[in-house]
Amino acid sequence: MPTVVLMDVSLSMTRPVSQDGSEEFQRKNLAVHGLNMLFEHMASNYRLEFTSLMAFSSLWELLVPFTRDYNALQEALSSLEDYDKTCVEAALQGVSNVVQQEWGSACPCQLMLVTDGSLGIGKGSLRHSLQTMKQRADDKKFPLPFPFPTKLYIMCVANAEELQMTDAMDNLEELLRLSGGDGQIFTMEGPLCMKSVQAMFGRLIDYAYSPFHAVLHCGNLSSDVQVFPRPEPIVVDDEVEPMPRTVSTDLEIVGFIEIADISSPPVISRHLVLPIAVNKEVDEVGTGATEEPEEEPSASQMAGKSPNFCVLLHGSLKVEGMVALVQLGPEWYGMLYSQADSKKKSNLMMSLFEPGPEPLPWLGKISYLGPISEAAENPYGEDESKSPFPVQPAAKRSYAQNVTVWIKASGLQTDVQKILRNARKLPDKTQTFYKELNRLRKAALAFGFWELLKGVADLLERECTLLPDSAHPDAAFQLSHAAQQLKLASTGDSQYAAFDHNIAPMHTDFSG
Amino acid sequence: MKMFAMSHKTVFVVDHCPYMAESSRQQVECDVLTKSRAQGVIPLAPVSKSLWTCAVECSMEYCRILYDIFPKDKLVNYIVSDSEFHILNSWRQEDQTTHELMSALAAVGPPNPREDPECCSILHGLVSAVESLCKITELQHERRTALMDTAERVANRGRIICLTNAKSDTHVRMLEDCIQETILEQNKLAAGSDRLMAIQQCELVLVHIHPQGEDTLVSDRPKKEISPLLTSEVHSVRAGRHLATKLNILVQQHFDLTSTTITNIPMKEEQHANTSANYDVELLHHKDAHLEFFKSGDLHMAGSSTRENGLKETITLKWCTPRTNSIELHYCTGAYRISPTDVNSRPSSCLTNFLLNGRSVLLEQPRKSGSKIISHMLSSHGGEIFLHVLNSNRSTLEDPPSISEGCGGRVTDYRITDFGEFMRENRLAPVSESSHNPSGKLPGERAKAQLERYTRYWPMIISQTTIFNMQAVVPLANLIVKETLTEDDVLTCQKTVYNLVDMERKNDPLPISTVGSRGKGPKRDEQYRIMWNELETLVKTHAGATDKHQRVLDCIVACRSKPPEEEERKKRGRKREDREDRTEKNGSKESEDKSWQESERLKGLLDKEEQEAEVIKDSPDSPEPPNKKPRLTTEEVQPPERAKGPVSLLTMWSNRITAANSRKHQEFVGRVSSVNNKFELYQHLKDENGMDVHENGKAAR
Repeated sequence: MPTVVLMDVSLSMTRPVSQDGSEEFQRKNLAVHGLNMLFEHMASNYRLEFTSLMAFSSLWELLVPFTRDYNALQEALSSLEDYDKTCVEAALQGVSNVVQQEWGSACPCQLMLVTDGSLGIGKGSLRHSLQTMKQRADDKKFPLPFPFPTKLYIMCVANAEELQMTDAMDNLEELLRLSGGDGQIFTMEGPLCMKSVQAMFGRLIDYAYSPFHAVLHCGNLSSDVQVFPRPEPIVVDDEVEPMPRTVSTDLEIVGFIEIADISSPPVISRHLVLPIAVNKEVDEVGTGATEEPEEEPSASQMAGKSPNFCVLLHGSLKVEGMVALVQLGPEWYGMLYSQADSKKKSNLMMSLFEPGPEPLPWLGKISYLGPISEAAENPYGEDESKSPFPVQPAAKRSYAQNVTVWIKASGLQTDVQKILRNARKLPDKTQTFYKELNRLRKAALAFGFWELLKGVADLLERECTLLPDSAHPDAAFQLSHAAQQLKLASTGDSQYAAFDHNIAPMHTDFSG
Repeated sequence: MKMFAMSHKTVFVVDHCPYMAESSRQQVECDVLTKSRAQGVIPLAPVSKSLWTCAVECSMEYCRILYDIFPKDKLVNYIVSDSEFHILNSWRQEDQTTHELMSALAAVGPPNPREDPECCSILHGLVSAVESLCKITELQHERRTALMDTAERVANRGRIICLTNAKSDTHVRMLEDCIQETILEQNKLAAGSDRLMAIQQCELVLVHIHPQGEDTLVSDRPKKEISPLLTSEVHSVRAGRHLATKLNILVQQHFDLTSTTITNIPMKEEQHANTSANYDVELLHHKDAHLEFFKSGDLHMAGSSTRENGLKETITLKWCTPRTNSIELHYCTGAYRISPTDVNSRPSSCLTNFLLNGRSVLLEQPRKSGSKIISHMLSSHGGEIFLHVLNSNRSTLEDPPSISEGCGGRVTDYRITDFGEFMRENRLAPVSESSHNPSGKLPGERAKAQLERYTRYWPMIISQTTIFNMQAVVPLANLIVKETLTEDDVLTCQKTVYNLVDMERKNDPLPISTVGSRGKGPKRDEQYRIMWNELETLVKTHAGATDKHQRVLDCIVACRSKPPEEEERKKRGRKREDREDRTEKNGSKESEDKSWQESERLKGLLDKEEQEAEVIKDSPDSPEPPNKKPRLTTEEVQPPERAKGPVSLLTMWSNRITAANSRKHQEFVGRVSSVNNKFELYQHLKDENGMDVHENGKAAR
């Protein structure tokens, strides 16, 4: 989930923080300090996150486009300049554009608004934006909610009390609500100083940037892993099940399925599964980070050399073209598979299915998938020639059965013509003739379209009179038999008009 | 998405009163004469559908689309009303097919025009519809039971679609009032019943059908709230084509559907087999398949077109010729069932048959910029066609570190092939719910239990194991992991053990891995000891399961050879382990691990003794390390290192040659009187300093 840091560089951020003695800080310095701390944390624990830095006042500027280079981000922070007044709305519009250009409108994003809580005055202020929200033309809409799912963190270099003295807090809360309500407003506790800004960013890290560690199990084989990005809690049905579901920290493999059988299933999110060293002191995520200090090169090297289940699993999944079905929680499943990128680097990936007992109709209920060893005969066949998948649904869909639809006149005409065409080829086409005739009869009875039955009966009688001399004698018998049966059905007499009844070919001396 | 939204329950109430037998006055020419036969034949008079036929076929079309896209949990209850009401099906899942409804409709037949219009009314049906909405569905029941104390979270909402011929706006208002009253009455009744639920929200969609060419007496009215419980809307439509269009729009609105037109489908023409014309096919599906499309505002540029007097929009996706194969795992963010708008038209059935035969088609979306992007895929699974949404945005996971750079990435001798075999054995297959014993474990739990059994002892790398590199052990290793063993299985296991004993007696080489160790690895008897230890470790993890498993272990313990003192120690240890076995399930694991670790340690010690630095790398492709040479039997001449391990081919060869040669000549004095094969040369020179080296050489000869 990419992160946008939206940094307030208006003049109010340069307000000095009152401190007894020592050196004097601006609010901006505190914010930069906090962000530096966050970036350092991300560089070592969350380094796959793409982060961009934007600064705003009355205008906005993209200082660092989305990157994993945290040095570049820190460098940009150190050279921030001061500008004029705060104008949140324009900046949010900027965020919306930048994110959509990079990630499209489906990718969830985290927005971190770093401000001092003085949100501008007059036109362009957040207060003004919120007040005029409802009187906008379509092309000047307030940018929130963004088209993409958003988590909004508002980092205020200010105390909650300070914000509550004005309407700043109310406005920020309204902003969070407008963004979709997912996120939090962070304020500083105690005096404004380096320590309290660290504490505030520390809370943000715990809330949003702590790595998700789990244990991947396959029976007794297991591996400690980091799942990146963090799987988000999701609400399946806000009415029946309002509590969000979270991914368990024990990921249990249930069994294995061929890629062709799982056949490109829909997933709600994708995550890298990175094995991590069991040794807790080695906080290194198995990312092959290069900036490990010189004195302990052994830690990551040791980790590289001791066998890890993830690597074994990945290798075999790749070679066999299979996926592992993994349970993420009660009635929630996902799949593990090998994913290669364009550079032929390959990785263990986990995709999450929609929570529920039956996320993929073609697999049936996941809890009803059992080991093949229990089946009377191998469901894959002794020579791997077959597969128990896909699971067939109880009823066929309309396009997989020969349904009758006469909404367009052409549908009806085609069906009548089919009967007539076969009628002219009697007795060769006796079976098809009666099949089509019965199909028409059934539909006409269901639709209460008795007039059609009479009409087709008349047509068949006419065909009978038009038969050439060379015609097989059976043809005439079958035609008049069919016509008579249709006429009987069109009376609605229950004896002849039963839906499940079929007109059978007349048994003649010729038909043998 | 709410499970119990309005769309969970739909009641169709179709008017079956005498006036519905009236003709729609829309004629269908069904006798299309071919030119050659036209002479002298009087064509059949065109037929025309009654209002009833129009209403029934359009409602069936509504149900067809609904069942195609939501085969489950979106339910229809069909009611026909004349002098009384006729309920044609129930909320139960097995009643939810068009075939079921058609069969019931055939039994009802068309309205009887001679029936007394005075005693017929749509009201009977509407009252019954409200009653029906109060009836609990299987899903509601199941959820209420599952939620226990929060059962009130299960809502009861529903929609009534009434197809009728109303007399006037006042008549419509009367019907609404009547429904409102009935809801209140029924809700009171429902409060006291387990099988009934009070209605929280009801939506009435009244469709007034009138024949072509007749002025309507009822006016359209958008949705309005009659009470917090009831909203109502009125549509006044001409029978025939217009009614069909209206119900098609309604089914889209009611179930959040949207339309996609697949263009440029190449199809062979029957008449001109070598030309192919391009066709378009319109499909309906849930609108989330175009979620991103709608959000990005790319819609209008992207070939959406407004058709038929602005009532309907469709999104165009282009058929893409490079097909995809089933081995590819696409990153797919959604899959939605489809239903063709015109199900039995030729282009539709060509497309659906193509897909049902197991082929998939990628679809291309034209973008604002003029560029194109593959955004969707049509594919069938088990006779159902799905529109898959493919991710076409930049991935946030791009350029990840390769797995070989992380933990365990440097290890090269993983048992990849063996684990592949393990995965095949642990594949899953659906178990029918009817064959499942409700008191037993669910199949999924049994699959996990099997994984647990199969992995009790499973070394991940080749150099960590001996037994899994031995063909001879395979029969036992495959059987011992089973939950229960047959007598035959035990016999096979025992045979495997005897076979190993035989191998040991014959001193057959073992594939002991030498990866990471310097030298040639342990001696033959050590190798067998390691092998037996490992085999015992494997079998011990299963011995507690059944007596038969235990018998296999007993057999191993009885047959394996051990140094006497170790035998003794093991015996004592085993008694302790046996006790642990009984006290806790799988409890002996720890001690087994210990014994295994011990043997590993031993192996390590042996390795260290070796002086030669030679490493043989194992890879998954060469699981059998090179065989060890038979022990050297010649005793006469041995290098001093001999005692510490096997010798190289070179040493053997030179020893042999030396031995042979030595017999042919008298041994040098120096060699005969050597100490440890060493003899100090030029001893006489110690006293004569400054002598020429050359001369020394000569002197040595």
